[in-house]
Amino acid sequence: MNHTLSILLQNEAGALVRVAGLFAARGYNIDTLTVAATHDPAVSRLTLSLQCDDASLSQILQQTRKLVDVLQVAHPATALAA
Amino acid sequence: MNAQPLKAETATDRHPLAGQAMSGAEVIVQVFAGEGVEVMFGYSGGAILPVYDAVFRYNAEHPRANGGEAMPLIVPANEQGAGFMAAGYARASGKVGVAVVTSGPGATNMVTPVRDSMADSIPLVVICGQVGTAAIGSDAFQEAPISNIMGACAKHVFLVTDAAQLEATMRTAFTLARSGRPGPVVVDVPKDVQNTALAWRGSGELALSGYRTRLRTVEQATLSDTDCAALFTALMRAQRPLIYAGGGVIAAEAADALRAFVDAFGLPVTTTLMGLGGFDSTDPLALHLLGMHGTAYANYAVEDCDFVLALGARFDDRVAGVPDKFAPRAKFIAQVDIDPSEIGKVKAVDWHHVGPLTRALDRLTAYGRAHGLHPQLTAWHARVAELKRAHAMNYDRASALVQPYAVLEAINRHTQGRAIVSTGVGQHQMWAAQYFDFRAPRHWLTSGSMGTMGFGLPAAIGAQFAHPDKLVIDIDGDASIRMNIGELETVTTYNLPVKVVVLNNVGDGMVRQWQKLYFKGRFAASDKSLHKKDFVLAAQADGFAWAQRLERTEELEATIAAFLAFEGPAFLEVMIDPDAGVYPMVGPGASYAQMITGDFIPSRAAPVAHEDSPSHMF
Repeated sequence: MNHTLSILLQNEAGALVRVAGLFAARGYNIDTLTVAATHDPAVSRLTLSLQCDDASLSQILQQTRKLVDVLQVAHPATALAA
Repeated sequence: MNAQPLKAETATDRHPLAGQAMSGAEVIVQVFAGEGVEVMFGYSGGAILPVYDAVFRYNAEHPRANGGEAMPLIVPANEQGAGFMAAGYARASGKVGVAVVTSGPGATNMVTPVRDSMADSIPLVVICGQVGTAAIGSDAFQEAPISNIMGACAKHVFLVTDAAQLEATMRTAFTLARSGRPGPVVVDVPKDVQNTALAWRGSGELALSGYRTRLRTVEQATLSDTDCAALFTALMRAQRPLIYAGGGVIAAEAADALRAFVDAFGLPVTTTLMGLGGFDSTDPLALHLLGMHGTAYANYAVEDCDFVLALGARFDDRVAGVPDKFAPRAKFIAQVDIDPSEIGKVKAVDWHHVGPLTRALDRLTAYGRAHGLHPQLTAWHARVAELKRAHAMNYDRASALVQPYAVLEAINRHTQGRAIVSTGVGQHQMWAAQYFDFRAPRHWLTSGSMGTMGFGLPAAIGAQFAHPDKLVIDIDGDASIRMNIGELETVTTYNLPVKVVVLNNVGDGMVRQWQKLYFKGRFAASDKSLHKKDFVLAAQADGFAWAQRLERTEELEATIAAFLAFEGPAFLEVMIDPDAGVYPMVGPGASYAQMITGDFIPSRAAPVAHEDSPSHMF
């Protein structure tokens, strides 16, 4: 199933690499990835989409939340459904 | 605790040195001092020289009362050794281990200990020198992209490009390493940042609001009455409940809370490799190790149990090789962990709690006591006792060859679970896990998840620095010790009374065991009978005054007594039966019911024929 995640990230050296590296290391394939500035210059917003089942989605959300530079991880579809 | 927002600086908590001019290197050392660092491990090199010089000057200016250095910097043969010394120190003491290395090869040699510590949740702070900020990305001499490399292995990595952030970053590294699920934090410091003139502030950390918010949620999590009631309802219905305790019990200092919970409710306890020492293995309710090479009685108890309480354990593939078949009769599985991502990662659970383990256990114990809950487990206790009796660990006691198990039993008769034991990786590691008693946390230092050969010797060195007066024994294999054999000299350089045992079976014993089982006995690259090394001469050459080889069973007891009684560094090579195997064994892809118990431990099922085709499992 296709999922879109929205990640708020501290603008630190190597932060983007760590998010992308986490997905690669855990066997997830990122289909699309956009990085954009936010109103706070110290924070970027990553929007990425990927294909995975619900259990895998839950696991990668939890793993992403372990990255120190990650401020917030949202899965808007889940938020809407809830 | 660490998760609190930064306080405004007031006159009362102003650091006595606040405002003092310091170089970046001096700031690093001053943060070490503030964090209570009492020893560090590392190898020098161009890009870290300012920090090494600052350590030298700090130690010259701050002698201990006994004349020793305040923060001795212990030099290994190779940076990997420094990393495992720091890890051994951290595992044995519960404090953050510190390693300081140079850029490029110094830092890349540190990758294995950092990954090893990540996989086993060990707190480290590793400082790597880096080429100057202007040279980064220019393929400079001894340059490596450490932020990228370590970012994939560590809990976190900082590349400090703004010297003004150095002090707060250093302090934050210690907070990150020890908070939540502990792990290694790498700080990559360009040489010009080390040389920048700064003013010491004495307090302050990086905000890291995302991490701290999540940490606070976990650390403040409590069990409600409803949560407790749900767990106890299932427990009171269970007839054969079992605790499966992992390394989280050690990391959380929760052994006493576990003991109290077991005393109150009578659940038997089996521990993972990382959990050994979390519960006294000599206790009647202790089932010792479970998993691929767990005791037969522990694995049978897992097969039989109808309720599992997983404490700081993560159902990894050495325990739950086939997750669907793990604890197949369990009607209720409960899990407590500090890491939300471990809940349900491998096996779905019926009840879980994410929070500090000690508080969770204390709360459950109090709840159960307050409600007068006493599970009636007499029949289950009798069955556990019978499993332990009928399927006890055993081996060929009549063999003319020295059996490795006999060596470990002989050592254990002296140490009785009170020595600190480190290991390499392979058969000797599993035998040590199976045949030693484990009575308290932080006495068992082993590379559990990564399985890094060469871990044992440097880990023992680090542990001896944490506990100078304790008996520290490295149980090693002939192949594992070769990996970091340069550290034998480190033992004698610092005159550490470390005891090194090499169980020599002339090759990679565990690899051979798998080749016998799954590759028709083709010993590809695992036989070392043509290797020429004389380990005793090697130890003597490195300054071991006591170095002996044991080859005959009749000399075993006396040799081991003399070896352990020797005051200083001692080295014992034991030529063991090269065909000795590690049993029981739950093969890759097999369930506990298919466990092979070998020729000397009774099995309760007919052994399943070995697969001949190579398995895709590992």
